[in-house]
Parts: sequence; C-alpha cells; structure tokens
Amino acid sequence: MSEMAINRQPQKRHPRWALHLLHVVYYLVMIAFIVFYMLPFWGTLTTSLKGASEVMTSNPVAWPEQVTFEGYIDAFESLSIPLVNSVIITIGGSLGSLFLGSVCAYALSKYKFACSNLFFILLVAATYLPYQAILIPLLQTINMLGLYDNVLGLILVHSVFGMPMCTVMMRGYYADVPDALIHQAMIDGNGPWQIYARIVLPNTKIATITVFVFQCTSIWNEMLFALVLGGYDAKPATIALNELAGTMAAEFNVQMAGSIILALPVLLLYIFMGKYLIRGYMAGAVTAT
Amino acid sequence: MASISIRDMSVSYNKGKSLVLEKMNLEVKDGEFCVFLGPSGCGKSTAMQCVAGLLHPVSGEIRFGDQVMSAVEGKKETTFVEPQERNIAMVFQEYALYPNMTVRENMSFALKTQKVPREQIDAKVNEMAKLLEIEDFLDRRIANLSGGQRQRVALGRAMVRNANVFLLDEPLGNLDAKLRDKVRYELKQIQKRMHVTTVYVTHDQTEAMTMADHIVLMKQGKIMQQGTPFDLYDHPNCLFVAGFLGTPEINTFPCTVREAGSGLVLEGKGFTVAVPKEMSACLKGYVGSQVILGIRPSDFTLASEGSENAFTGEIDGVEPLGDAFLIHVHVDGQMMIFKYTGDKAPQGTKITMAPNLKKLHLFDPKTEKRINA
Repeated sequence: MSEMAINRQPQKRHPRWALHLLHVVYYLVMIAFIVFYMLPFWGTLTTSLKGASEVMTSNPVAWPEQVTFEGYIDAFESLSIPLVNSVIITIGGSLGSLFLGSVCAYALSKYKFACSNLFFILLVAATYLPYQAILIPLLQTINMLGLYDNVLGLILVHSVFGMPMCTVMMRGYYADVPDALIHQAMIDGNGPWQIYARIVLPNTKIATITVFVFQCTSIWNEMLFALVLGGYDAKPATIALNELAGTMAAEFNVQMAGSIILALPVLLLYIFMGKYLIRGYMAGAVTAT
Repeated sequence: MASISIRDMSVSYNKGKSLVLEKMNLEVKDGEFCVFLGPSGCGKSTAMQCVAGLLHPVSGEIRFGDQVMSAVEGKKETTFVEPQERNIAMVFQEYALYPNMTVRENMSFALKTQKVPREQIDAKVNEMAKLLEIEDFLDRRIANLSGGQRQRVALGRAMVRNANVFLLDEPLGNLDAKLRDKVRYELKQIQKRMHVTTVYVTHDQTEAMTMADHIVLMKQGKIMQQGTPFDLYDHPNCLFVAGFLGTPEINTFPCTVREAGSGLVLEGKGFTVAVPKEMSACLKGYVGSQVILGIRPSDFTLASEGSENAFTGEIDGVEPLGDAFLIHVHVDGQMMIFKYTGDKAPQGTKITMAPNLKKLHLFDPKTEKRINA
C-alpha cells in the first residue's frame, strides 16, 4: 500500500536514498507490530506443545525441547462436551439470527410500509444495546421458559440478539438488488415470500455467507450469555476453557492447548473466509453511519 | 387479451403534495399498440406503473376489459388488484433478467409459477426462442449475454406469457442505434402477429411514429394529444405536439394576419404567405393580430427567386444526410431548417423556398393551441 502510493506520486524533491530510508522505516514499524501482536500467540503455541515439567522451567516463548501433545489430550478431555455444545449453539444461533435478520432486511429494504424507517432505526439502536443491561430479566425469562441449562435457550438468545446486526448488514446487500427485479417477479405472478426465496436469496448468496461467517465467529467467542444462561449441561467451550484455568493449578500447557483448540475454528474461518468477514465488517460500518 | 380503459386517473407523491399525473383518460383497444410518448418526467412511466399495479393511483379507475383492476372513490381505494394477479407481462428498460437463472429458466419462470405443465412450457419457450433467434443460448447465464441478446430474452420472457396486457418501458433504450432500428421493426411485427394489447413507453418520437397505432403524447402529467401517428403529425393540436414530433423540429415563425384583396395573408419577417381559402375562415378573428406559423422542414420546395409566397434567406450551413440535405437558412434574422431532397446541395449563398400551402400549421401565440382545422 505505502509502496504503491510512493510509486504513483514520485516526490522529486526527495533524493533516492531518502525514499529507501523511508521504506526501511515502514518495514521496521510493520515488523514491530507483527511481533507485538504475534508474540502472545507464539507463546501460547510453544507452551501448549511442552510437557508439564518443561513449562515451569523453560522460557515461555522458547520452542519446546521435546514436543509433546499431552496438553492437547488433557485439554480435549475436559473440553469435548463443551465443544459440542459450542458447535450446536453457534450453528443454531447463526442460522436463527441469519434467518430472522434476512427476512427483516428484505421487508425493510424492498417494501414500503408505515413506520418502516422507525423500525429500522430501532433495530440499529438495538445493536448498540449493552447486553449487561438486560441480563437479569433475560435470565428470568429463560428460566420461565424452562430453557436454562439448555442449548436451546442459548440458541434462542443468540438468534434474537444477533438479529438486529444481521438485519443491518443484510439490508445493505438487499438494497443493491434492483427494484425492477422485484417488480418483474411480482408481474411474473409471485408473492413476497416466493420473491424472497426464488429471487432475493439466490442473488445474494455472498451476503448470506458473509453474515453467517460473521455471526459464527461472534457466537463462538461469546462468553456473557454463555456464563449466565449456559448452566452446567449447556456450558459452551469458552466457559469450560475459563474453568480449565481455575481448577488445575498452573497447568499452563493444558490451558494453552485448550486456547489453541478453541481458537482454531475461528482462525480457519479467518484464513479461508477472510474476505467475506471484511465485507461483513464494512457492510455494518457503512450502514450504521 | 383485453382492452385497457383508464378513467380520471391521478397519481401523486408525498401524500398528495406533488401531482405527477392529472386526470388521465384513455382507451386502448384490444390488440392495439399504444405508445406513451413524452419528455422525461412527463409521467408516462408513472402511468404505466399504475397499469401494472406497481403504483397506487390516488383517484380514478383502471379496467382491463370489464374487470376493474384499480378503483378509488373519494379518498378510499375500493379495488386494487396486486400486480401478480393482473396477468400482465412487462419488459423493463434495464431488462430485469434474473441473474441467478439461465435464459431458459428466465423465460419459463412465470409459467412455472402458474403451474403450467412442463412440456407446454418447453414448447412455448422453444417457439419464442426460435422467433427471437435466441435458441442457441437458451442454456447460457444472463451474465454471458450481450445487450441485444438480453433485450431479446427480456422480450421473449414477456411473450411466452399468455398475458392480458403487454407493457414495455423503454425496452430499446439500452441498445445501440443500428440494433434499435432492427428490433423496433421486429417488435412491431411480432406484436401484430400475436395481436396483444400493448402499452409502450418511450421518449423517442421515431419509435412512437413507426410502431404506434395510438400515440398518447404527455407533458407534465397531462395528456397533450392522443390519436394515430398521422393525427398527431399532420394535425398537432398545440405548439408542443408540433415541436415534439418530427425531426428536424418544425419551423415556427411569428407573423401577423392582414387582409389583402379578397383574402388574407400572413406577414412575417422576410416573407408574405397567402392564406389558402379553406384556412381563411378560422383566421377571421385574428386579422391584425399575431399568430404562429409552423411549417415542417420537409414541407418546403426549392423555388425560383421572386416567386410568390416564398421564403428567401441566406444559407448558414448544410448537413448532408445521404439521401437529403438539411439546409440551415437565415430568414431575416430567424433561423429555419429546410429538408432538401435533391441530388446536389443548392449552390450560392441565397436560397428561395416555397412552402406547401396545404400543410401550414397555425397556432395562437398565447394559448399555443392550433387555429386551423
């Protein structure tokens, strides 16, 4: 980026060596940032691969003298059920919020009805709602529904609370579907639901993937609802990981292995779906302002 | 197939603050090709969208045959048939082809919705594709088609329907000039063969003249004149209609009506034209006052200098068209255009032209309405 900018507008006043020096500075700064951000992760990785005894004696960022997976085996033993919970909650919650948000966004972007703008403003406002503020009534409601300590409860909560963000993001994409296409589909004899299923959804697949990936990462990483509503049976992996740190005295290799296991799916999503995620953030940013 | 009748239809935006269509009345006969013509913003697309059911009129009534599609009494909408229930076919200017489908899927979409049996759909689509010469790319995706091909697919998609009414919103607008001429002719031929009631929106007067059975010329939400293309071209009822139809535009000259001997003459800057007998009667009231004389560029002939009723001026420039010349002439401070169909452009700087006295158009300068019959 910086290189391109310099190439495009050569500043003739500066001599060549100055430009080179500028490059060196750029790269040094970038490397410093990379080290700064990657070091904790590096430490996590090296520690996770060490044996219990080596953890205490060696430098945390040094590569293990003897690579062992015993930390991973231990961590997986305590995290296996919470991981399954997390997968169910993440997929359920993402699909739920995606569906609700998508239908909402379709109605808000393609149909004019009384107070439609007001609805949208309220939805945007809801994305700024601090969850802590509604935690106690929420807990009571979930209790009343008999969904405490149940993955269904968490799926419901994530579906509902993810919906505004999904709506805001999807509305931006749906606005790009030409109105003529909707009108044409109407004239071809389709009602609103048919148009949604046969025209709008098939033409906004990328939007759907983007929002789905976005929801997946945020629900996978989520801790507050998980802590308050998850109880014991529906405990997701984020909470279990935290308990891993609390229960076993200084078994850093197990904790770090657990962290890696938990981070891996999100990491893979970032690597393979990174472009969709960036689009997702952009969509939210642009529409919200 | 059905006729369309529109009675007192008005449309407004912003809850009645801005009226975009005012008391429109119209009858389109069964099988007729009707063109809504006018400059942009005249309400022609709005009128069509009301017919399609994409917009709600604030007053008036729309009927297809004897079925009421939309009716407003007072301020209450008493009937409104949703677009999907109207059985219409429409082609949008931007074609609105479904990008997630192939050409064949696009064309069969509406029929599938109506649950027409598969074999019938295939037969219809194949027939239409043959007619429009798009059989070769029936299985292609829309993204892989050129503009002209897309346009034909959009037409085909509309024509496979057994629709009551066929609505076309500037369907040729996105084609290049050569293709436009070709498709224009084809479209008209297909319409004739299929005998479908058609409403066609355009701002291009050539399209209107060549295709229409019935032209509705609109301006600022009002119908200025409607009738056959020849009605409008030969008997424009106002200055706007006269100016809108015909290229190059009609020449207009302000002049004064005077009595001369037994008849009347029109005296303008640099010319005096004797009024033919049959026009004298309606000019009686204008003796001594101003009228506007309109003469189409093609209604002049080359004349010898000093001949009667002639216009004499200096040639400003010549545009050769191949089969004719457009000669821009200065007549005593006023510019006019003469469409000359000779083989060679007239030489010299001076030119004398005689108008066809049977084709004079006279307008009142205040009301801009036509004076002569």
